[in-house]
Amino acid sequence: MSFLTLTSIQKSFGPVQVVKDFNMSIEKGEFVSFLGPSGCGKTTVLRMIAGFETPSGGGITIDGKSQVNLRPNQRNIGMVFQAYALFPNMNVAENVAFGLKVAGRPKAEIDQRVKEMLGLIKLDHLADRYPYQMSGGQQQRVALARALAPKPQVLLLDEPLSALDAKIRVSLREEIRMIQQQLGITTVFVTHDQEEALSISDRIVVMNAGKADQIGKPADIYNRPATRFVANFVGTLNLIEAKVVDPATNRVSIGDQGVTLREPLGTVKAGDTVSLALRPEAGSTAPDAKGDTALTGEVISSNFLGSVIRTRMKVGDAVISFDMFNSPGLVPPAVGETSTLRFTAGDLLIIRD
Amino acid sequence: MKKFWAWGALIFGLLYFILPLLGMTNFSLKMRRGVYSLDAYAVVLGDPRFQETFTYSILMALATIVFGVLLVVPTAYWVRLKLPGLRPYIEFITLLPLVIPAIVIVFGYIRLYNTSSWLPLTGTTTGTNILLMFGYATLALPYMYRSVDTGLRSIDIATLTEAAQSLGAGWTTILAKIILPNVLVAVLSGAFLTFAIVIGEFTMAALLNRPAFGPYMQLLGANRAYEPAALAVMSFALTWGCLGLIQLVSRFQKGAQSAA
Repeated sequence: MSFLTLTSIQKSFGPVQVVKDFNMSIEKGEFVSFLGPSGCGKTTVLRMIAGFETPSGGGITIDGKSQVNLRPNQRNIGMVFQAYALFPNMNVAENVAFGLKVAGRPKAEIDQRVKEMLGLIKLDHLADRYPYQMSGGQQQRVALARALAPKPQVLLLDEPLSALDAKIRVSLREEIRMIQQQLGITTVFVTHDQEEALSISDRIVVMNAGKADQIGKPADIYNRPATRFVANFVGTLNLIEAKVVDPATNRVSIGDQGVTLREPLGTVKAGDTVSLALRPEAGSTAPDAKGDTALTGEVISSNFLGSVIRTRMKVGDAVISFDMFNSPGLVPPAVGETSTLRFTAGDLLIIRD
Repeated sequence: MKKFWAWGALIFGLLYFILPLLGMTNFSLKMRRGVYSLDAYAVVLGDPRFQETFTYSILMALATIVFGVLLVVPTAYWVRLKLPGLRPYIEFITLLPLVIPAIVIVFGYIRLYNTSSWLPLTGTTTGTNILLMFGYATLALPYMYRSVDTGLRSIDIATLTEAAQSLGAGWTTILAKIILPNVLVAVLSGAFLTFAIVIGEFTMAALLNRPAFGPYMQLLGANRAYEPAALAVMSFALTWGCLGLIQLVSRFQKGAQSAA
């Protein structure tokens, strides 16, 4: 049985429905990310789990117990906010101890737990500091320790890394994942950063316009996007319009070049248009490139990005972008020359909506 | 040339305010003919009625501050958190004591709470004291509300509230442990202004016939020469002391913030 269950959750603000029939089951100890652009409803779902918003319909259960009629302070949920939200009048130790004091735990237990939590985030030496005396990254680690101290059933992270600089974001997200695995706590993480979601999640929910477009493991979301939106939002993807030549043999044409797909075309007829997706890293124009499929076109740009060379090629009406790993022997195709892009037919995915 | 006029205006302003004060202070020191002395101050401080009225007003000021904080902090907090659309109306209501004279308010109180009303507060000393405290709180409302509201604006109350709630805190804990300590400087500013208002207030105390400091100053002024001047200087010093404390507290807060 799932630990955290969201059943047909809906939320409307006046006439605007921001969450539409959202369903999700999360296992105990799982790390699930809600990924989506601003306004897609991901934070609203998180806030409904926390109890800060009341669902217009549907149910939320944690460990089989309905949460809908419980106030936020009765739910035993830890939350970390984008703006840290440390109490400015309390030092680090007092902040971490707050939840335990509210719960009326004995002083010795509070002291022990605060020590344990500060050790976990490696900030034992800053116990007496006030929030204004700390960096953003340190404050967010304290916020994490504070949320974990009362041993919540579920940890909610509302874009906790958004206010931090790039380097700190990477190190802190690794730290969050490590702590989550160490404690085995069920975690819901909200982000609009696909790299963040892909790197630390057990599963990702890609949200679009108030509903889940796709729920799956990071590799599935990246390699097999279910919708055009997911394909566009997660990673950099080429979306190519192709014309069906022969549905029986999965034959399509891109411009005037024929390609045979591995994936069955399904119920389409000759002359129909289908959308195909191709990841930039799937193809190469290098002489030793392998692949059972080739497309020839004119190179329209070639940019050196350090670890990769990003090249854009025009094939019929489509512009295909692909990345090749940089190596000293690699000669990137020159702008204006005709080049052949090789890839495996299995990398061409059919986008069905 | 511009500087000349600026300095001129400043000096004129200073003289306009300081000269009467100097004159009053000078007069208060001339009770003993031919020499400067503190006799007028000694007479005032030795007067049992001074001690009685001053103590009464201090106690009333403290009660008013406590009541004002209990009334204003939760109200301003709740309006900012849950009813932001009501803010202009609440602000308007809190400004009313500035345009409605104290005498109108106190007559309204007397009509509403006299001995033949459904809540005869004026029938007992305690009841009248409570009524006077409500009156003082009303007079201080514009200052207390503004101070607290400004303090609340400087912190992210919505997120702090949610953070505290997610840690299991109820409304009382949030207000007492999170909100109040973080707007304490603003509350103290409001408290000092309230104190200054209550100490000098005359109309309400006189019409409710309570032994407050304001009516005592008026009584002394009507019957004595030097003592009222001494009392005015002392009252003025007290008010400026309160304002100085506000500055001190504000500076303390600024220092704490700049350390960030």
